[in-house]
Amino acid sequence: MARREEEVRIRRVIACFAPGHAARPEAAARLARELEAEFLGLFIEDVELLRFASLPFAREVGLASALPMAMSLAGLERQMRAQARLLEDALQAIFGPAAPWSFRVERASPSSAVEAALAEGHAPALLVPPGGDVRAERRLVRRVELTTAALREWMEGKRPVLVLPE
Amino acid sequence: MTLPPSALRRRCDPAALGFATTAELQGPAGVPGQARAEDALAFGLGMQREGYHLFAMGPVGVGRHSLVRARLEAEAARRAAPADWCYVFNFDAPHRPRALRLPAGQANAFRDAMARLVEDLSAAIAAAFETDEYRNRHREIETELAERQEHALNDLGARARADGIALVRTPSGFGFGPFNKAGDGVMEPEEFGKLEAAEQRRVEQRIDALQKELGDLLHLMPKWRREAHDKMRSLDREVTRAAVASLIEELKAAYAALPDVQAYLERVKADTLENAAAFRQAKEGSEPPTLFGMPLPRPEGMEGPFRRYSVNVLIAHDGANGAPVVSEDHPSHAALVGRIEHIPQMGALVTDFTLIRAGALHRANGGYLVLDAAKVLVQPYAWEALKRALRSRTIDVRTLGQELGILSTVSLEPEPIPLDVKLVLIGERLLYYLLHAWDPEFAELFKVAVDFEEDMPRGPQDDALYARLIAGCAQREQLRPLEAAAVARVIEHQARDAGDADKLSVRVQALVDLLREADHWAGEAGRAAIGAGDVRRAIDAQVARLDRVRNRLQEHIVRGTLLIDTAGSRVAQVNGLAVLQLGDFAFGSPHRITSRVRLGSGGVVDIEREAELGGPIHSKGVLVLSGYLAGRYMPTRPLSLSATLVFEQLYGGIEGDSASSAELYALLSALAGAPVKQSLAVTGSVNQHGDIQAIGGVNEKIEGFFDLCRARGLTGDQGVLIPQANVKHLMLREDAVQAVADGQFAVFPVSTVDEGIERLTGVPAAEIHARVEARLEEFAEQARAFAQSAGRKPWRGAKKK
Repeated sequence: MARREEEVRIRRVIACFAPGHAARPEAAARLARELEAEFLGLFIEDVELLRFASLPFAREVGLASALPMAMSLAGLERQMRAQARLLEDALQAIFGPAAPWSFRVERASPSSAVEAALAEGHAPALLVPPGGDVRAERRLVRRVELTTAALREWMEGKRPVLVLPE
Repeated sequence: MTLPPSALRRRCDPAALGFATTAELQGPAGVPGQARAEDALAFGLGMQREGYHLFAMGPVGVGRHSLVRARLEAEAARRAAPADWCYVFNFDAPHRPRALRLPAGQANAFRDAMARLVEDLSAAIAAAFETDEYRNRHREIETELAERQEHALNDLGARARADGIALVRTPSGFGFGPFNKAGDGVMEPEEFGKLEAAEQRRVEQRIDALQKELGDLLHLMPKWRREAHDKMRSLDREVTRAAVASLIEELKAAYAALPDVQAYLERVKADTLENAAAFRQAKEGSEPPTLFGMPLPRPEGMEGPFRRYSVNVLIAHDGANGAPVVSEDHPSHAALVGRIEHIPQMGALVTDFTLIRAGALHRANGGYLVLDAAKVLVQPYAWEALKRALRSRTIDVRTLGQELGILSTVSLEPEPIPLDVKLVLIGERLLYYLLHAWDPEFAELFKVAVDFEEDMPRGPQDDALYARLIAGCAQREQLRPLEAAAVARVIEHQARDAGDADKLSVRVQALVDLLREADHWAGEAGRAAIGAGDVRRAIDAQVARLDRVRNRLQEHIVRGTLLIDTAGSRVAQVNGLAVLQLGDFAFGSPHRITSRVRLGSGGVVDIEREAELGGPIHSKGVLVLSGYLAGRYMPTRPLSLSATLVFEQLYGGIEGDSASSAELYALLSALAGAPVKQSLAVTGSVNQHGDIQAIGGVNEKIEGFFDLCRARGLTGDQGVLIPQANVKHLMLREDAVQAVADGQFAVFPVSTVDEGIERLTGVPAAEIHARVEARLEEFAEQARAFAQSAGRKPWRGAKKK
């Protein structure tokens, strides 16, 4: 597998970001620069989460505090906007105007957002899940193997996936 | 009676010296004339008891430093090199660095071994943490934690799902929401609104219960993480111990004979186990600390976390043969006891044990330290620090700021180092006696006085001994050899320097200077050996460089600006002689002393004292005159005399009683109306019985008057009256001696006032005394008559006064 990876030249790095995950784009961005690959920062506003926040009794239990706190849709959207803005600013600072990079916000389910991004190009792409570790061992998959279920599972993990053309 | 030329200068016969040049001679074993000092030195250096430090006292230039240094070096060579000392980190109290003693010459090796150990540890620890075994075990612990958390959350999510509730990840944690009808996502709010009220309540109650369960679960997670962390730490220690143990044990084996080093290495081992992470991070490399983008200074040596394992070698004796002999020329507080340096970091001054620096006491520990007493005393707090170190027999490195309590920055309290040193202070005698009188600790600490002589006796064999001293100096200084005549000339000069025909100056520095300068002139003349002419030229050149003031003074006299007669006779006027010391050069100069007498009851008034130009000894000399007059002429009646005495045209002050005989002659001349010969000058003090007493600077005084007479033209009746007691001190210049031999000048020794007054006036002393007595009687009668006419007792005024 490693030999195959060596033979593949990564053309795109798709770094996924989502609320609730640490937003540190530096490692993925540095990797894209090293590989001279196009970089896409994809901030996913999970519709499932938005729907949850719309419920009248929506509450979240903090990981650090272990206490339930009220949630609102407006508050969640505000948080998302702020996080997306910070990410974009950080990427702007890292790449500058000359480098091939882009950033966008998708309101969808995580799997469909990633599918849409993958569909934009056929070149081999490295997918980095939200809060993922770019230095972790990569999985190699063909585009066709990346089903919605597989994507959902991958999105919960930390390992990047190298998506090969079909 | 005049003195013959042979009495004016004790010659050294070159032929009697017994050699042609000093190349045939060897220097003496010791230093001639310093037997007392040498004995004291030998005693002080051999006495290994507390408080037996030495104070070498004597004037500058008598060879105190060279003799002390030579004896110390000889003594030091017989002793073994002392231990090396290092400061190392104190793992229990970092602000109190530990002092580590190592055998001589091993400190640097130990420092290097520690540096190598750190390097080896870095490599070994990093390698140990990169093994598959470690990674697998580490990953196992991480996975165990992750699985434990995941399982707990999954279990909770499964139970929620069973109740139709979805576990949702939110930005800050987790939430629970009801599944939609399809069961593939969270229910829409509208859909939830359409549920029956009872169902809505059930869902909400179930969600509340799940949230509580989740809260309980999240409370457990830190504990699980801590447990996992403990396991990882335990794993790290296990891996580190395996990597470290062999390296440190190897080093311990190399220092098996040194328990302190063993204990220190044991602490190093424990510390590396605690701080294994630092070694791993170091392997990855670390950026230097910065402030606003500017790199901050870092101490030299090992980098950050490893500085604590470095060894600060304070004193090392690599390749040393014998004990150290240390001289500190700038004995400040820090230079003696050492100092603690600081480096600025983020606006504060910081320090650590690697910045402790040794002082002279450290360098001399186990050996000898030579200090100049005056230099120590003028350095702030240096004397106190020195005494404290000697008293406590430890060297406590403390900065002045710490001592004075004015240092607000973080500092150290290094462990004191045991002190075993023999201290030799070198200073003037005055300092010794002042310290003895005013510092109670001085006598306890400096029990050995090494008293250096300024001169040595000039017995029949001593000229030859001194010639060997001269030869030794010339050989040591790599000068040309001296011919016997040159040596004889030097010996005569040294006798003159001693101010005594029967003594020889042992001011070695002045002797060496003279020899160097004579060698210079011999070289100028292209001679292979130094001749008597070269020595004479060197002496003359020394004088010529310094005699500007003497010449100006003489010029003023010759031109009549300063009134001094050298011919004729005059009542109440005597040529006195004074010595002026300007730096290294002393010369004599005549001064006119005059007296006026009248009726009164004031005794003898010293105008110099009244004008505050006379010193106390001079005043004493004048007061002695009143005693002489009263006792000699009016033992049973009040002295109705008011006399004044003055050094004419003297504006710079006068001290000493060497002119008191001249003052008495002026007074007697005034009372007797007997003119004094101005072709003669007088020196000598007088006591109340009219005995003439010895004075200092007799040679300079005679030569001062001789130079003036010669400038005006020698007449043959000019000369100087000196005390008989000073004849043995005569070492006059050769030209003055020659003038005496030619009958152009004379030196008259006198023992009593009677001899002197006869010589000065040409009138028999008895007649002078009769005239004086008659004059005083006359004054007394006049006083009595005056008192009766005024209705007063003649002595009442005197009593009241």
